[in-house]
Amino acid sequence: MKSKLLMVFALLCSFITIIAQEVAYEEYDLDNGLHVILHQDNTAPLVTTAVMYHVGGKDRTEGRTGMAHFFEHLLFEGTENIEKGKWSEIVSSNGGTNNANTSQDRTYYYEVFPSNNLKLALWMESERMLHPIINQDGINTQNEVIKEEKRSRYDNAAYGKLLFSVSENLFKKHPYKDPNIGYMKDLDAATLEEFIAYKNKYYIPNNAVLVVAGDIDIAQTKQWILDYFSAIQKGDDIVRNYPQEEAITSEIKTKFYDPNIQIPATIIAYRTPGFKNRDAYVLDMLSSYLSDGPSSKLYKKMVDDQKEALQVGASNVGQEDYGMYLVFALPVGETTLETLNISIEEEIAKARTAIMSENDYQKLQNKFENRFVNANSSVVGITGSLATNYTLYGDTSLINKEIEIYRSITREEIMEVAKKYLNPNQRVVIDYIPEETPTN
Amino acid sequence: MKKLYLVFIALLSVLAVQAQVDRSKMPEPGPAPKINFKEPQSFKLKNGVNVLVVENHKLPRVSIQLTIDNPPILEGNKAGVSSMAGSLMGNGSKNIPKDAFNEEIDFLGARMSFGSQGAYASSLSKYFPRMMELMADAAINPNFTQEQFNQEKEKIVTALKTQEKDVAAIASRVQLALSYGKHHPYGEFTTEATVSNITLADTERFYRNYFVPANAYLIVIGDVEFKDVQKMCEEYFTPWTKAAPPSFSFSKPSDVQYTQINFVDMPNAVQSEISVQNMVNLKRKDEDYIAALLANQVLGGASESRLNLNLREDKGYTYGSYSSIGSDKYASSTFSATAKVRNIVTDSSVVEILKEIELINTEPISEKELSRAKAKYAGSFIMNLENPQTIAGYALNIETEDLPKDFYKTFLEKLEKVSKTDVENAAKKYFSVTNARVVVIGKGSEILDNLEKANINGSKIPVLFFDKTAEKAEKPDYSAVIPEGLTATSVIEKYIETIGGKTALEKLESYYMVATAEMQGRKMEMKMKKTSKGQFMQDIKMEGNSVSKQVLDGDKGYIIAQGQRKDFSAEEVLKVKEESAPFPELKYLTAGYVTLAGTQAVGGKKAYVVKIGDKKTAYYDMETGLKLQEVHTMKIQGQQVQQTFLFDDYKEVSGILFPFKLTQHMGPQNIDFIFSEIKVNDGVSNSDFE
Repeated sequence: MKSKLLMVFALLCSFITIIAQEVAYEEYDLDNGLHVILHQDNTAPLVTTAVMYHVGGKDRTEGRTGMAHFFEHLLFEGTENIEKGKWSEIVSSNGGTNNANTSQDRTYYYEVFPSNNLKLALWMESERMLHPIINQDGINTQNEVIKEEKRSRYDNAAYGKLLFSVSENLFKKHPYKDPNIGYMKDLDAATLEEFIAYKNKYYIPNNAVLVVAGDIDIAQTKQWILDYFSAIQKGDDIVRNYPQEEAITSEIKTKFYDPNIQIPATIIAYRTPGFKNRDAYVLDMLSSYLSDGPSSKLYKKMVDDQKEALQVGASNVGQEDYGMYLVFALPVGETTLETLNISIEEEIAKARTAIMSENDYQKLQNKFENRFVNANSSVVGITGSLATNYTLYGDTSLINKEIEIYRSITREEIMEVAKKYLNPNQRVVIDYIPEETPTN
Repeated sequence: MKKLYLVFIALLSVLAVQAQVDRSKMPEPGPAPKINFKEPQSFKLKNGVNVLVVENHKLPRVSIQLTIDNPPILEGNKAGVSSMAGSLMGNGSKNIPKDAFNEEIDFLGARMSFGSQGAYASSLSKYFPRMMELMADAAINPNFTQEQFNQEKEKIVTALKTQEKDVAAIASRVQLALSYGKHHPYGEFTTEATVSNITLADTERFYRNYFVPANAYLIVIGDVEFKDVQKMCEEYFTPWTKAAPPSFSFSKPSDVQYTQINFVDMPNAVQSEISVQNMVNLKRKDEDYIAALLANQVLGGASESRLNLNLREDKGYTYGSYSSIGSDKYASSTFSATAKVRNIVTDSSVVEILKEIELINTEPISEKELSRAKAKYAGSFIMNLENPQTIAGYALNIETEDLPKDFYKTFLEKLEKVSKTDVENAAKKYFSVTNARVVVIGKGSEILDNLEKANINGSKIPVLFFDKTAEKAEKPDYSAVIPEGLTATSVIEKYIETIGGKTALEKLESYYMVATAEMQGRKMEMKMKKTSKGQFMQDIKMEGNSVSKQVLDGDKGYIIAQGQRKDFSAEEVLKVKEESAPFPELKYLTAGYVTLAGTQAVGGKKAYVVKIGDKKTAYYDMETGLKLQEVHTMKIQGQQVQQTFLFDDYKEVSGILFPFKLTQHMGPQNIDFIFSEIKVNDGVSNSDFE
């Protein structure tokens, strides 16, 4: 068995070929600045229509957190030609599904329909961009709905506030310091006028990309897009000038209490550059090296060999302006958080000081190749990647080229990046611990 | 010339021109697209393993899924043995040590996971043969070791603890346990006690009995050739010894005798988990299966269904309210209508959900609702076909649930034929109003009073109490822990005694405090002076600049905020006075508005809760008597806002204990004030209050 194993290894090492299919697409601008991307794939009779607006949680003023996410809810309330409450009904009665989501950097709306309903989807998204109805009635209902969303996702969920405990410590000035969903008091305080101003500032064609992908006829699709979207007025250019963070130069140690847990967690977090930066790609590889798969460094050591952790994970949370690199672990039995912290730092210190083995490096490259092939496996997924690459990375062609970036990263570079960002004096260490709850 | 003209025409025709569209009209759908319905190829191994292959060459990848379709297994006082067996598998095999096994799978950039009744692996197609070989080896020759067993046991116990305060996790466990009973395979659950009963031999026995080929299906999807798969399966899976699992019977669960609320108290809940449920006997091959799905769709299958439109879009009670109906070929399944709602609307939400269930039981549904539900189902049916996993799943259902061969091929036709009456009948048959079990998990101290008053059609819904393990419980008594005879006054007396005694406090004429804090990275300094003559001064500086100064001298005072001076109104004077007394507790001793409300934990310490009027609550440590916390309720811009102050690090100054740390929570913000200096009867003069 063993010799066979070795042979397979030898075979693999000589094997680096480009295997994933190219995603073909076409892109252009309308006169009003709306960017359009089309991708044809006729294998299934479906079409995905999506609009990504370059507006997210970070686009707000102090005291008005959560505006972008609130707005996402409001844009389901109806338009001048779509009555309140009818949005989802139209989608489902035409056999489609739809949803939306908001991150700190962008808001994304999409519908998937059988391909005979593309015109309907374009009409709906153009209605939403041209003249949505924003009124106090909708604001009042959605305010309550969002509070329930906040409760169920974060306040009532075990480890629900883990990411927030990181962001509030890694950021002091930049809007990333506040939760994307906002604070309840800010949600309450936002006025109708502010929402309308927000719409006029951000929900404009020149701040959006429309992606249509799937079983489409390109010429017909272009005609319909022109019909429905060209009448929408261009808006003013958006200037973003968010405060820069000062470097973290001495360790921040803090505690965070969660009433919904019984087993504590430790989190070690570092501030990293935005995801367009090459270093962010390197950090992606590094997190995979540390915790992806049972033979990864942290997992093998802490979960498998020393049996001190129930779970351990490293993750590079990519964002436009700054990223968050975090390692978290849950202890098993009587293990202290301090023990976990020491184990984690030992492995990170190795990453900073030693070049990884050829074998580990090849393993990483294989993992990323596998990930790349799977990333483009559904039309809905391709639609999202095209929109994100254009909006946040400024380069649609990354959908086919991203793998080249990972391939070009060397072992030496991975060590250099670890040395640059993952030092003990740059980190935030959070004891994420149970909060005693009232017995009645 | 003519040529040029032609080119010009051609140019014009390709330049799309914006046509006049009538936006007020919703576009009509084009002709329905054609569906490609693919069927998997299949064969059977001699040991009974069924193999299904879906070739799909779009991407160079393959997935292998092994599913063992055994009847439900009762684990009894060793509940958890199945998941232990599952987690011990996939750690190498008798032929490959664990580390080498894991290393190789990771090296291939692949994924492989095992469960007690199956396994899953995926990889690029070039590594597929090796993946299948490794998977078969690990499935057929697992290596159970005591060391791995001990480790998994500890992990499972820790994992159980992670759920103990998780409202959603407890809710799903209790919902099932109450519906099926704890002695049914679907109702039993794993606890620390059942885990402690499990031995290595038990897990090995479980594997031998149930991880057998009789009901096994191996599904291979992706960039493969059928004949290659056939060859490989024969090579790698033939060594799996033919065997069938033991079978046993279990009781059939029934509905409750009358509609009732089953309540479980979870003091940390900020939302209640509501599930209105009843048992259903529904199988995919039943005549009214599709009608039942449509009835559920109308009631709560989607965001535009009745439940969500009512509870979310109309009332704003929840982020979402949905219903679901299960089907199961072995046992009863459940219908349930659920919502997570904020504490205060728990009772109203229960009533609204019950009303919706009653409505669909008694009133006809509209044609429009029916056609919408059908369109949605047809749409998602077509959508799912994009995914090769669906094609395999359908084929598996046909095999395992005894469905006609063309069940899915003719699904859309069958869907179209379902009538309004069919759907109404299905609703009546499967959704119960009179025998519904309403499971509510939530914070009893805030919701129970109203929940006990909830009524439907004028009659109250009885509330029965259960604990987190679905055992009958007493109604929680929120006043029970207060010792006999203890009153708010005695709690306050103890506090006064502890910090220095009434005499010492009354002798205090003035004090002076300096504290620092950090807010959003900026340094803040607070100076405060108080006297027993009703004088009060508080000056807050940010980075050395005064941002707020409040002064009160008897019946007059003012505030300077951001350079603007404003005199206090009579009302504000009263308020500031209240807050500015050096030790307000002295006054509470004689005030009539102080009541003992119960006990509660504050930062890990048990405390008595004393309500001071309706705007302030104070918490005193049951052991030491010290004040741990105050919560002030106020209205800001018409909204109720709570502000919390935590007191810590008590130290003595001139015979009186003062907290040297004050933490203020307001919303999500936390500010720690650390006192650097506290002086008693020193450093304060009348001129400070001018």
